[in-house]
Amino acid sequence: MTVITITKTELSDGLAALRKGYKLFGPVAEKSSYTFRELEKDRDPDFSYQNTRLSPKGIVFPQSEDMFTYTLDSTREDAHFLKEAPKDYSPRVIFGIRPCDAKAVSLTRMNFDTRAYRDPYWMGLFEATTFVGMACDTPCQTCFCTTAGCGPYHEEGLDVLISDRGDHYLAKPLSEKGRQLLAVAGWLKPAEADFDKNKAAAEAKIGSSVATDRLASADTLALYGADFWEDISFACINCGTCTFVCPTCWCFDIQDEVHGKTGKRARNWDSCMFPIFTIHTTGHNPRGTKLHRVRQRFMHKLKYFVDKYEAGIMCVGCGRCIRACPVNIDIRNVCGLMNSRAAENVCAEGK
Amino acid sequence: MTGYTDKIREIAKRLLQSCQVEMVIGFRQGSVPMMSEPCMVRRPEDVDQLMWDSHCGINLANYLTDRKEKIAVFAKGCDSRNMVTHIVENKIKREQLVIVGVPCQGMIDKRKVAEMATAEIVSVRELNSKIEVKTTAGEESIAKAEVLQSNCRVCRHRNPVIFDEMVAEPVAEQADVDPYSDVRAIEAMTPDEKWKYFDDLLAPCLRCYACRNACPLCYCPTCFVDEAKPQWVGKGQDPVDIRTFHFLRAYHCAGRCTDCGACARACPVGIDMRAFTKKLNKDCFDLYGWEAGMSLETRPALDVFKANDPGEFIK
Amino acid sequence: MKNLLEHMGVEPDRIHFSWISSAESTKFVSVVNEISAKVKALGPNQHFIKQEAKGAQP
Repeated sequence: MTVITITKTELSDGLAALRKGYKLFGPVAEKSSYTFRELEKDRDPDFSYQNTRLSPKGIVFPQSEDMFTYTLDSTREDAHFLKEAPKDYSPRVIFGIRPCDAKAVSLTRMNFDTRAYRDPYWMGLFEATTFVGMACDTPCQTCFCTTAGCGPYHEEGLDVLISDRGDHYLAKPLSEKGRQLLAVAGWLKPAEADFDKNKAAAEAKIGSSVATDRLASADTLALYGADFWEDISFACINCGTCTFVCPTCWCFDIQDEVHGKTGKRARNWDSCMFPIFTIHTTGHNPRGTKLHRVRQRFMHKLKYFVDKYEAGIMCVGCGRCIRACPVNIDIRNVCGLMNSRAAENVCAEGK
Repeated sequence: MTGYTDKIREIAKRLLQSCQVEMVIGFRQGSVPMMSEPCMVRRPEDVDQLMWDSHCGINLANYLTDRKEKIAVFAKGCDSRNMVTHIVENKIKREQLVIVGVPCQGMIDKRKVAEMATAEIVSVRELNSKIEVKTTAGEESIAKAEVLQSNCRVCRHRNPVIFDEMVAEPVAEQADVDPYSDVRAIEAMTPDEKWKYFDDLLAPCLRCYACRNACPLCYCPTCFVDEAKPQWVGKGQDPVDIRTFHFLRAYHCAGRCTDCGACARACPVGIDMRAFTKKLNKDCFDLYGWEAGMSLETRPALDVFKANDPGEFIK
Repeated sequence: MKNLLEHMGVEPDRIHFSWISSAESTKFVSVVNEISAKVKALGPNQHFIKQEAKGAQP
């Protein structure tokens, strides 16, 4: 697929054309950070960001989403019927998603799109979305994507990848959806250019890393019973911050809300960090202590997922949890402890 | 404040070696600039991870709730008042604690520093009244006074009110600060302006509960927002539910909050929900002459009925 | 409670407190009438209404 060149003016004009056929989402500056918002008329994305405070997962997986509604008001024709909540699956574009967040969407899809079950809500929004990525030339201090299975120019999960060349952009279509988008925007001028020219330099700027080579072969029970969990989990206050900012976290809770005679069922983001996440109707809570929950989160991300899907860790190295955690629990440290402990076990068994 | 680390390690080592305590709760160096991580040390040989600087803003009283061990814990003025409240409310026994007082000159608000820096921060070094900030674009020097946490700026209890030993000599208390100036600014608004002010304040709220969980006072086994039978508050993103959570949580802390600022510090989206609790603190002070956690002897104002309690609001 | 609600922007005359014994029926009547009049004068409450309830409003 040929690489396309886009001038700065053509970008703006193209976005205006896209707005006619798509809902446009992009990064904008808000107070002291960046966030993804729907870009109404004349509002262009702000690419001076490194990454947004919250991941764009909320565009495909809203924090609070109505599933269905009902009314018991017998004067109404639709009384006693469960109705699908009205949904908008019109085409939309996430313009300027970083490659790490795009890969995270692919990882999340593994949970919502399985042979046994396809989540209609997540899939509805996912299939309506075209992902246009912006390659990362100035990664954050806390980014470690290159050792977490992706990188600043990684293409997984994207329909188009754009590289900012200062006075113009290069766009690389990666799928049929991507090609369609470029056509709608009128970005069709081919360029004789090396798209990956800045890739190595960008990757070299990633100063942070995790070691994951021993995780797959590690003994699960040995990691589970390791002695470092008490120290790691001590500071944790069991809020939902890490899970909410994480682009690969997808747990949700289903809740009913009733107002007089009407009601609805909705799903909201949930967090395995919350004490009541695993509470049973009997009152028993298998993860009743902080240590259980913290251990579970890291084991899930760095061991269970690795074992189950054989596709690497369930982390894309975006660094948001590290920046946001109020008590500075650092997944890089935990991964390092788990990986080096795994190595010790292999040696102990005389292998 | 920059010189406390050695003394802290020395005290911790002594307390552990003499078996006066089974564990020491303090802070260790964070892995990113301007952060520290609460930690626990059980062995004297591990005390060298402990440190102290102006980024130790989390309230360590939060880690004491319902613990059974003998614990040494480092306490700033505000933290020590929360420990008093914990003891009065039976969440820990006085005999279990060795409170090591740390006179505080204010904690730094990392968000304020980030806003003043011209590029991404790589490292931060603290020198008495200045902060040396190294960014990807160069080095900058910022006056510490300009980037203190909002609550520290108006603090009148910088020295611990209860302690078994102190890390240093007490510091001078700030005499000419109005702790309630922010509250007065809001009180001067019209009802519509007030409603909008709080709407804007709470707009980014994610219901992550970092504020609630960082607060030492929030120790209910089941918080009202987690109840489902009956469900008092919706769990979604409706602005009414968000406001109700914050306003009702503040109300549960009425007369107990010491304005330690851990809530605002913990918030991942930078909400200063102290706007609620500060108003309640001011009312407690104006109506009952009460400040939380100042003494082990008196019962809290909202715990006791006195004949001369203000009653003009009741017709 | 009254102070905090007012601080948040709920109009001052919406919340009232009164000590009334079950033996003070006349006081009860006059207080209820007074409060009803004051609250009605403020018009329908615009705050603390959830999205769903907004849909159901007449």
